[in-house]
Order: sequence, then structure tokens, then C-alpha cells
Amino acid sequence: MFRSIPRRPSAAGASAVAAALVLAACSSAGADPDVAASLDPDEEITLRVAWWGDDDRAARYTEALELFEEKYPNITIQPSFVAFDDYWTARATEAAGSSLPDVMQFDSSFLREYASTGQLLDVSPFLGEEIDTSELADELIDSGRIDDAVYAVPTATNTLATFYDPGLVEQLGLEPPADDFTWDDLATWVAEASAAGAGEDPALYGSNDYTGIFWAFLQHLVQQGVTPFTDDGQLGFTPEHMTEWLSSGDELRATGAFFPVQRAQQLLPESGFTVNEQALEMSWDNFLAGYVAGTGVDDITMLPVPSGPDGQKHLFARTFQMAASASTEHPAAVAALLDFFVNEPEVGRIFGTSKGVPATQSQRDAMELEPGSVDARVVEYEELMADQITEPAPIPVEGFGALEAEYKRLGEELQYENITVDEFVEQWFAMAESQLGG
Amino acid sequence: MSALDSNEIELDTARGTDVPSPARGRRRKNASLVRDTGAGYAFLSPWLLGFLLLTAFPMLASLYLAFTDYDLFRPPQWVGWENFQALFADRRFLTSARVTAVYVLVGTPIKLAAALAVAMLLNMKHRGQGGYRSVFYAPSLIGASVSVAIVWKAMFIDDGIVDRIQQFFGMEPGGWVGDPDRTMPMMILLAVWTFGAPMVIFLAGLKQVPAELYEAASVDGAGPVRKFLRITLPMLSPVLFFNLLLETINAFQVFSSAFIISGGTGGPADSTLFYTLYLYVKGFTQFDMGYASAMAWVLVVVVGLITAVLFRTSKGWVHYSGDSR
Repeated sequence: MFRSIPRRPSAAGASAVAAALVLAACSSAGADPDVAASLDPDEEITLRVAWWGDDDRAARYTEALELFEEKYPNITIQPSFVAFDDYWTARATEAAGSSLPDVMQFDSSFLREYASTGQLLDVSPFLGEEIDTSELADELIDSGRIDDAVYAVPTATNTLATFYDPGLVEQLGLEPPADDFTWDDLATWVAEASAAGAGEDPALYGSNDYTGIFWAFLQHLVQQGVTPFTDDGQLGFTPEHMTEWLSSGDELRATGAFFPVQRAQQLLPESGFTVNEQALEMSWDNFLAGYVAGTGVDDITMLPVPSGPDGQKHLFARTFQMAASASTEHPAAVAALLDFFVNEPEVGRIFGTSKGVPATQSQRDAMELEPGSVDARVVEYEELMADQITEPAPIPVEGFGALEAEYKRLGEELQYENITVDEFVEQWFAMAESQLGG
Repeated sequence: MSALDSNEIELDTARGTDVPSPARGRRRKNASLVRDTGAGYAFLSPWLLGFLLLTAFPMLASLYLAFTDYDLFRPPQWVGWENFQALFADRRFLTSARVTAVYVLVGTPIKLAAALAVAMLLNMKHRGQGGYRSVFYAPSLIGASVSVAIVWKAMFIDDGIVDRIQQFFGMEPGGWVGDPDRTMPMMILLAVWTFGAPMVIFLAGLKQVPAELYEAASVDGAGPVRKFLRITLPMLSPVLFFNLLLETINAFQVFSSAFIISGGTGGPADSTLFYTLYLYVKGFTQFDMGYASAMAWVLVVVVGLITAVLFRTSKGWVHYSGDSR
């Protein structure tokens, strides 16, 4: 017994690290992406494909990938999927062993980390060739570009939106915010809504603490003309920007007008909004389907985000991406699959707007939108906002995923009143400095 | 291999002689010893390989990584003691150490007390005792599992069974899961509830206490409290020591229940950020493997020191009845 004592505490961390080392030792050098041989229809090829998401998404992927296998009978797909957080844990471990799946659903939050360390395949040689880009807008392609290389292709776009539940708003005796509302209007509206809902059982609230949403902060920065992340991968904003943004929620926090964090914590993965106790929530527009399913309310309505100081929205479209591993042995097959995800009309029909609005017109056309359906409303929203989507999406700095998680964590601490706004800003920037080596 | 071959030959020649000389006999003994040793290692090899590849090597690797900056993507870079120095300036590290210390210092004694109390109940003679023992042990079989952590969360959430009972007795409504002040009691309750393993060991210990000691004490007029303090506890002290060591070490390593209940974050507000959970967060969500390895080794040293201290003090209070016989 006693001999075994020292090994046990470290076992969890140590064995995982070692597994990574062993993998690193056995991995072979990847195929050179520059010598992209054309796809040989007789060669038996197996591609590993990974994504994050729920059962619904898995069913859609399965259907799409089966179609791909029909089109390319020599290619077999090995799919795998997990939840978002576990997804990146698994990918990081694989990256350590240069054994990433051939094709991965990807998020720009992690793009720099993986690209700058040579984990991702530069697909720029395939663009306009194996991967048809005739329907892709340049700025969408640029969302996967770092310097001269392109590490991810866009399959869909997401824009921030403000969702509200019309029934709840009416129950609170309020009008929903107008399209041209400002951040101040939003704060006033939330205060009124929560005051009106305080007497209900359960109590109803206007919104959750939107200052704790990192992307909302970035959107607010962009509206002020601040570029959140510079081209050389450093922060473009100062502690004062963050202090000002967080302080805009001070009064609402102090008066308990935001949906209480104690309850929100217990509801996870649901939210106050999806359990019909919160009238409004800010999020990505592709969440509509989830919100309608979660709330059981079909007429969940979408507004843009509040306007900036000049009365404009300055929205940006984030792309939902697919990337490929630099160590893939079948770059040509990978390119065929990426092209399939971007351009195949059937894929547009299968996924609908569940990953956002498809990036190409032929996929958008294939969706067979029923007027008033969730998909139709998301497309309608992005089309309505098209002239307001004026800004390039920020390309996140390296370690963005961890910084976003830290922002969320500190936001909770702030709501529990464990820290002040100043401590929040100080702690977040301390971490950012150590992450960015600045 | 060659040694084995030559032994075979010698065995063959030995078979031919009727009268084995003493020297031959010794050689024969040596030969079979070598063969037995070889077979022993052969049978041991699955475990040995596992130990070397899955325990010894990873431990050495993590010791090396503890002195490096390693993000899984780039090769590790030697940074000396930097990770260890950074630990003590890290607010969340200190939080995780505090959370774990509270859990160990408060949770372990309560769990052992509960285990001992139940063991004593189950040691009494009445009908269906075997059934009771199984029932009381059952939570421990599933206690460390993911499903129980989920059940626990469901019980202590808003409008969960615990919240309803609270409200029935006129207490403030609200679940425990979202309240940073009440997550620790909840985690300790979960630990205490899985008292089965130390309970079984206590029970075995109780069975070893000679009944005549109690009889003699009764004759001398000792009451139940005095019997417990003067006979049961001293006689049980080796078992108590064993359980104390084991449970302390286990408590330092609590992970899965906190991981499930907090969704892997240690929340709310870091109130369930146990040491191992923070280690996981550092390694696998912030990809700071060097730092995580340093944390692992600090834990090894701390647990080692505490074990050593417990051993030292044990001379003062652990009574081995065999000594006096």
C-alpha cells in the first residue's frame, strides 16, 4: 500500500502527459501538402472526420457523410463527435501527437494556436481548383487566412443577435426594444422588465448579465472603432475599455436586475431564457433553432444588437469553419470533402441554419425554406442585416479559447460579488499578458 | 537464454545418476531457481510493463515537464523552477489548495466517524444483519461514479428534493448547487455517504476485538461510553490508522464528482475548484502542461509529507494488541 502512495496523486495528469509523449514519439511526418496529388478514384481511402455538437447535429453529419461516400465510393469516413469543451481537449492531445483527424469542424477561437504550430493544412493551393470558391465572398475566405496561408474554409456565417420571447415581454407589460435601440436603452429596458417581473412566481427577469459575454464586449469595441485584435496577434483594447464596458452593468448587478447567477449555474446547460424566466438573451443567430426547441415558444423573435455611438450596428459575421490536418495522408480527398461541405446543395438542405446561414448561394437555395420556419427566419435576419454587417470578424489571438473562458469565469465571480470590476480587469489582463507573452 | 540452455543440459545429465552429489543437488536447486525466477517475471510482465509504461515513465515525463513550458503544440522548453514559483502567485492555485484542505480536514473525519458508527451498528447481533451490511455498502459501489454525481446535482438543485425539504421546514428556498457557500457541505455529504469501504474495514476490525475484554469490563462496572473509549478505540487503532491514511489520500484526489457537478469548471465561483480539478483545467483547457505537471508534483510531495507525519504521530496513539501478547 505505502509504496503505491506517491504514484496515485499524479496519475491523472502524468499518464495523460505521457500518452501525449508516446504519441509524439510514434507519429510519422505528415504528407507534404504541396505535392497534392489528384484524387485517384481506385485508391481505398479512409478519412477521419470530427465535430462538436449534439445528437441533432450528429444525425445531420451522418446523412451528409453518407451522401459523400456515395459520391466517392473509394472513400470511407470515420466520424467522431463530442461536446464543445471535450472536443478541444481531445484535439489538443491529438495535436501533440500530430494525429489530428483529417477533417475537423473548426472555430476561429483556436485557429491561430493550431495554424501557427503547423498543425493545419494550408488549403490555399486547392482554392479555386478542387475547392470551388466562385460562390464564396472574399471576406469569408479571409476569415481563415493567416498571412498568406488559408487554414480553414467557411461553411456558414453567424451574426450576433438579440433574442426575445414576445409572450414574456407582453406578460411583463412592456414593448420589445426597437430595432435601433442603444446599449443604454437595453440597460433601461432590462431594469424595467426585471422590476415588473419581480412579483411573479417564479420571478421573471429582463436579461442575463450580457456584460459577461465576451463576444458582446468585442462587438461593443468594434462599434467604437476599436479593432479587438491586432494583426500581430496582440490586444487592440485597453483595461479602460473593459472597465467601462463592465461598469455599464454595475447598476443592474447591484439592484439584482440580471437573471441571478445562482440559478443560472444550476440550470446549465439550459439558461434562464430557455426555461422561460428571462425575456431576452444575446447570442449567435444560429441559436434560434435551439431557443425555439428549448423554450417551446415558436415565435422567439430576433433583433440586432444595440447600436453603437453613431447609431450604426457595425455587425460582423463570424464563420463556421472546417479545417484539415497538416498530417493528412490524403490531401486530395480532404479537398474533395471540404468542397462538398462548402458547395454541395444537399449539404445546405441537410444542415439548414443549424451551423449558421450557409456560406454559398447554392446551399442557401437548397434549403427549401418554408416561410416562417426557423431556418427562414435566420436567413431573413442575416439578409435584413446584410447592410449592417460592415466589419471584418476579429481573428482571435492565440489562446483565445482560454481567454474567453477566463472572461466568462470572472463574469460569474463578478455576479457572485466575489470580485470588483477593477479586480476582474486586472486578473483578466494578467492572464492575457501571460498567454500572449506581451 | 544461454544460461537456461546450459541448465537444461545439466538437468539431463543429472537425471542419469542415481546418487545425486550434494554439489549436484545445489546446482539443480540453482537451476530451478533461475527457471522459477524467469517464469515469475514472465507472469509478472503484463503488470510490470504496465507499471513501467503507464506509471513509471509518465511520472518521470511529468517530472521533466514540470520544469518546462509545454502547451502540447510546441516542444517543451526548459524554464527551471518558473512553474513552481508561479504557483504561489496564482490566486486560483491558492483557492484550489484551500478548497481541497477544507475538504480533507473536515470531510475525512466526518466520513470516518460515520463509517465507524455504522460499523458498530452492523456489528450488533440481530436478524438479517447480512442484508443490512449489503445495503449500507451499496452506495460505495456506485459513489465514485458519474451517475451518482448527476443524481447528487439533481437532489441539491433548485426545487430538488433537498430544496423542497428545506422549504417544508420553513427555510429559505434555493438549491445548493448554485450557492458557493453550500457547495462544500454538499461535496462533503457526498463523500460521507460513500463510507462503505472504511466501514467494511472497521467491521472486520471490530470482529477481532476479543469479547472477553467487554465481559471483563462489564464485570468491573464500565458503561458503554467507557467501553468504547477504553476498549474499542484502542483495539481498533491500527485499523483506524489505516483508514485515516487511505481516506486522507483519497480525499486529496477528489475529482470526478466535482468535475460532473461543476461541469468541469470548479464553479460556482471556484467553490468546488479542487486541486486535481484545477490541475485538469490548467492542463486540458488552458493547455499549460508544464504548470499542471508542477502542480501534480507539489501534490505528491504534500501527500507524502502528510503521510510521513501521520506515521510519526501514529507511534503515540496506535496500539498494536499483538505487541503485548
